[in-house]
Amino acid sequence: MAAKPLAGTRIVDLGWVWSGPYACMMLAHLGADVIRIESSLRPCLLRTLPPWPGGVPGSASAGGGTFTNNNLGKRSISLDLKNRDGLQVARRLIASSDAVVNNYAAGVIERLGLGYKDLRKLKDDIILVCLSGMGDTGPYREFVAYGQGQAAMSGFTRFTGVPGRPPKTAGFVLADPVAGAHGAFAVLAALRHKRKTGQGQFVDMSQWEATLQMVGDSVLGYQLSGKEPEPLGNRHLRMSPHGLFRCRDAEGEPGKTLDVWVSIAVAGDSQWRRLCEAMDAQNLASDTRFGTLQARKANEAELEGIIGAWTRQKSAREVTERLQALGIATFPSSTHKDVYEDRNLRESNFFVDLTHPAHGRHPYPGVPWRMNGAPVSVDRPAPTLGQHTEEILDELGYSTREIEHLQSIGALK
Amino acid sequence: MTSALAGIRVLEIGEMITAPYAAKMLGDMGADVIKLERPQAGDRARRMGPFPMEEADPERSGLFLYLNTNKWGITLDLATDQGREILDGLLKSVDVLVHNIHPPEMGRIGLTYAAVRKINPSVVMTSISPFGLDGPYRDYVAEDLTTWNAGGAGYTNGSGDGDPDMPPLRPFGSPSSYAGGAHAAIATMGAIMGRDVSGEGEHVEVAVQAVVAAMAGNIMAWPYTGKVQTRLVHNLTQPLEAMEAKGGWIWIQALEEHQWQKFVELMGTPAWATKPEYSNKIERTANWAQLRPLVWEWVSRQDVLDLCLRAQASRVPFAPLSTMKTLLESAHLDERKFFVALDHPVAGHLNYPGALAKFTACPWNALDAAPTLGQHNETVYRDLLKLSSHEIADLHLAGVI
Repeated sequence: MAAKPLAGTRIVDLGWVWSGPYACMMLAHLGADVIRIESSLRPCLLRTLPPWPGGVPGSASAGGGTFTNNNLGKRSISLDLKNRDGLQVARRLIASSDAVVNNYAAGVIERLGLGYKDLRKLKDDIILVCLSGMGDTGPYREFVAYGQGQAAMSGFTRFTGVPGRPPKTAGFVLADPVAGAHGAFAVLAALRHKRKTGQGQFVDMSQWEATLQMVGDSVLGYQLSGKEPEPLGNRHLRMSPHGLFRCRDAEGEPGKTLDVWVSIAVAGDSQWRRLCEAMDAQNLASDTRFGTLQARKANEAELEGIIGAWTRQKSAREVTERLQALGIATFPSSTHKDVYEDRNLRESNFFVDLTHPAHGRHPYPGVPWRMNGAPVSVDRPAPTLGQHTEEILDELGYSTREIEHLQSIGALK
Repeated sequence: MTSALAGIRVLEIGEMITAPYAAKMLGDMGADVIKLERPQAGDRARRMGPFPMEEADPERSGLFLYLNTNKWGITLDLATDQGREILDGLLKSVDVLVHNIHPPEMGRIGLTYAAVRKINPSVVMTSISPFGLDGPYRDYVAEDLTTWNAGGAGYTNGSGDGDPDMPPLRPFGSPSSYAGGAHAAIATMGAIMGRDVSGEGEHVEVAVQAVVAAMAGNIMAWPYTGKVQTRLVHNLTQPLEAMEAKGGWIWIQALEEHQWQKFVELMGTPAWATKPEYSNKIERTANWAQLRPLVWEWVSRQDVLDLCLRAQASRVPFAPLSTMKTLLESAHLDERKFFVALDHPVAGHLNYPGALAKFTACPWNALDAAPTLGQHNETVYRDLLKLSSHEIADLHLAGVI
């Protein structure tokens, strides 16, 4: 059987919260040995956040659901980097690694004594990828950047929402995993360059600039047309109808009803006529109020009312099957429960059952791609804080006595 | 400096966003990308805009221009025998095929992995689709709205002010498609590195629904707690919302105690801000309905950028809500030389979003604007497939290219 693409590659993950850890999880999915350096003195914020199994808050050492979901396949070593001997262990670990990834604020990695110049002394061909909020240079270098602020600065927030109401966030914190995905790609490019040339490098990455990759069309559009985008709610400039329509309520949690919505996007007049056919409303197909995109855009509220009245009597699944059979882009607005129960994701074995040392056995979202040859898989759950400290120290050649010494002086906190 | 993907040749058969974006990411890192479009119609992104004066023009679509920098553009009709034959020639000469042909269509034009592998066993083939190539929804069609909702990202987003009549709300742009493309680029890069070692080809399958589910941060709420998250909840902590200041909107976020204290200082410590009902984050959140208009009123009198900079100087994470204009005028992005100016023969001189990262050893490059439809037919068919000018002219007449 073929090996995993990154077999034999070691990544030191100095990630914090979401984007850096997400980037490194992608590399673990490809077979890299990803080791998170953490400290119980300042555990990753994500470790402290819900959801918790059974809804009962657990320890940072165990880690809440957003942590366990975004750190699959990694090992964890606990080191106090402000302790001289702890820092020394980190240096020895880095000397055995190919790349170091961090998403601290700009400048922090240098202050820790782990800047690119320091790392090169340890290993000439080391790769250092800094995925800071605003990048390593520029007047906003020191900005405190959270995901929602990033979404705002990238133009997402301004143009998300309903006309006449204040702008809204783009829901779950989109900027983080997107920046993380671009970060993973950057690490891979640097790793391939190193395999080809033997050369390491420093990569300066800004989460803002990574997120801006997703608004390129609008950046050009503004220059071409002189017009800013507009918040459109769920509507679309070039498709109509395009939105979410309420269906028959269903049971969410046992005994609780839930509002159910289906997404429908109609691209073109022939699709519109097919939608009319599906609704058994042939008279609508010839109705001049809706015959062309322009007409449908002009009478959109009325149009949405008609479709909503039709979907309200049906299940989202029923609407989806009927419209997809006619080639119209339709799918229920899935709850997390729906996603877990989704036939397609189940049949493709997307979810992996993993036994976490603190939380027991649960299904986690797995690798979001498949490979025919390489055996990509999730091999272990997210680590508890410092779960692999002794194992890694042992691999680095520390003796039992040395490990006890490091413990006694607080270097492994 | 040599490029990370120097010497890698990519064939892209892509429409709209996912495959073109993945191929762009590879091309910007130095791969040689050939983009194949249908004769006449071309990529659907050419019809999406935004356009100047809102007049549709296939060579002036913002979406197409952005996603197709650094590519050779050719046209080929894959529904003809001749077209198929030429495609086989192309497949023999490339290292990577990235496509988002609709799964049922793949079989009809004979572009399954088994067929491609027979032609070129060492090719990395990346197939991007909304729901995968062989599951129960393989025939389903999707727009960005569809995959966003199918992956569980849509349902929890929306009103937040508890209005059940407002549907779940989609975000601006096409986030699930871009994310699908970025994850496809990751997987393709991984497969290229695997092939560097083994010499073997690979088939990578990317389903955008799964990509969205992998990004949905809070998805463990269901298996951990059995609770269904909805959009009908207020923020767990306040303040956390966009407010309108002078000159634009600003993201107001001061959740931590020290952030709120600094914010109060910035406001000049007004009497209302120090009332006991706003003294800690639990109180502020519980009494947000009263507190909100007071904060809004103060913010509305501030200049957006000035307030943002003052807050940031106190480590309070306020952020401006950028528009396209403010992005293009940003001093920070300017100093980092983020935007890259490119000339396009029809669309002209425009500033494009630049490097996804600043590499010091292997360059990120946007050298060429997107191709016009069939712009490089001559070059590619002559140099790569060794066709004569006569043969190329005949193909053109027959409508194959």
